[in-house]
Amino acid sequence: MPDVWSVAAITAKFLMYLGILGSIGLVLARIVFGQATAGLWAGISRQAFALALLGLLTSGLDFALKGAVLTGDATGMTDPQMLGLLWRTPAGTAVVYRGTGLLLFLAGLPVPGVGVWISAAGGVLTLWSFSRIGHVPEAGPFWLEMLLLLHLMGIAFWIGALFPLRRLAGEPGSLSEAAMLGHRFGQIAVVVVPVLLIAGIVMAWYLLGKLSALITTGYGLTLLAKIVVVLVLLGSAAANKLRFVPAMRNGDRFAAALLRRSIAIEWTAVYVILLITAALTSVPDLPP
Amino acid sequence: MKPILLAGLFGLMTSAVFAHPRLSMSTPENGAVLTAVPTHVLLTFETQIRLTKIEMTHQPHRAIQLDLGDQKAFATEFVVPLTRMGKGQYRIEWRGLAIDGHVMRGDLTFHVE
Repeated sequence: MPDVWSVAAITAKFLMYLGILGSIGLVLARIVFGQATAGLWAGISRQAFALALLGLLTSGLDFALKGAVLTGDATGMTDPQMLGLLWRTPAGTAVVYRGTGLLLFLAGLPVPGVGVWISAAGGVLTLWSFSRIGHVPEAGPFWLEMLLLLHLMGIAFWIGALFPLRRLAGEPGSLSEAAMLGHRFGQIAVVVVPVLLIAGIVMAWYLLGKLSALITTGYGLTLLAKIVVVLVLLGSAAANKLRFVPAMRNGDRFAAALLRRSIAIEWTAVYVILLITAALTSVPDLPP
Repeated sequence: MKPILLAGLFGLMTSAVFAHPRLSMSTPENGAVLTAVPTHVLLTFETQIRLTKIEMTHQPHRAIQLDLGDQKAFATEFVVPLTRMGKGQYRIEWRGLAIDGHVMRGDLTFHVE
């Protein structure tokens, strides 16, 4: 039975994932797409700033809420003994990586030219924090931690690409730019999606140990729910790549509206996936 | 390609070892039916944990906090004195921090007839 503090911890984690993956994804998309998103950079930069700030605040909140779960009441959030205890474990290490990484990310944003690379470096440092704590570093060897980093970078890029794609698809004058961006995203996805999936499967295999755990444990069932939503996301992405984007390249304006609707579905799927992941990573017990 | 991938996946099969300190044993056991109220509850964890709070509920009374005494370090075994409240159902809820940084909680119940 989850108590109110566990629910609060999952909510904070969800917002933390959204802030961190969204902000870093925007910068990754900016680097990967280069010129295609240059005109949108001012807006992207503002969004990235706001999301990174959300990530920073919720990282601190996530840490403090662990204190509340330890004592079972609000006093744990500020209890020096509880927070000091947490600080000395990997929970402290992770929050240091996150804080440092996100500050570096924020510092790089306003700097023209090289700034985007400073932000990217801060972003990688932030994502690396997830390899310092959690189920993966306990269960697996170093390369599994690298796999998690790769998995997170892939997800961040995907989320980050949705912003400029949606913007461009909504502007009547930028149909060809939107089509171009959608086309390049589709090309890159051919590489990114298999990497994401393989990394996810390998990590799940490592954590669960056997296939039957997928249906016989709470963790497995939650993971199964995540996989179902991932399939919805992939289905929507396939429709974009195979139908809407090619139609847009042929000048079909109606296809741009369909692409926007499809991206809205993808956003919903992303929210649900992050929420399920927040619950999954908060579950203390993995199957025996 | 596919067979190689599958072979790779099977190669990864390991006896997944997890550092999470599951409660491996307790005295009294979870679900035990006893004839007398025990003086202590003994909790044994698989790996090291620092217990931060332990509460006992005996219906219809409110939950009371049990005293961990000087057990304020990471350990695998904890002995906590019980407050004896006669017959009925006792529910022990514990919270703690695993040495890997995971926040843990769990409970056990036993009955005194």
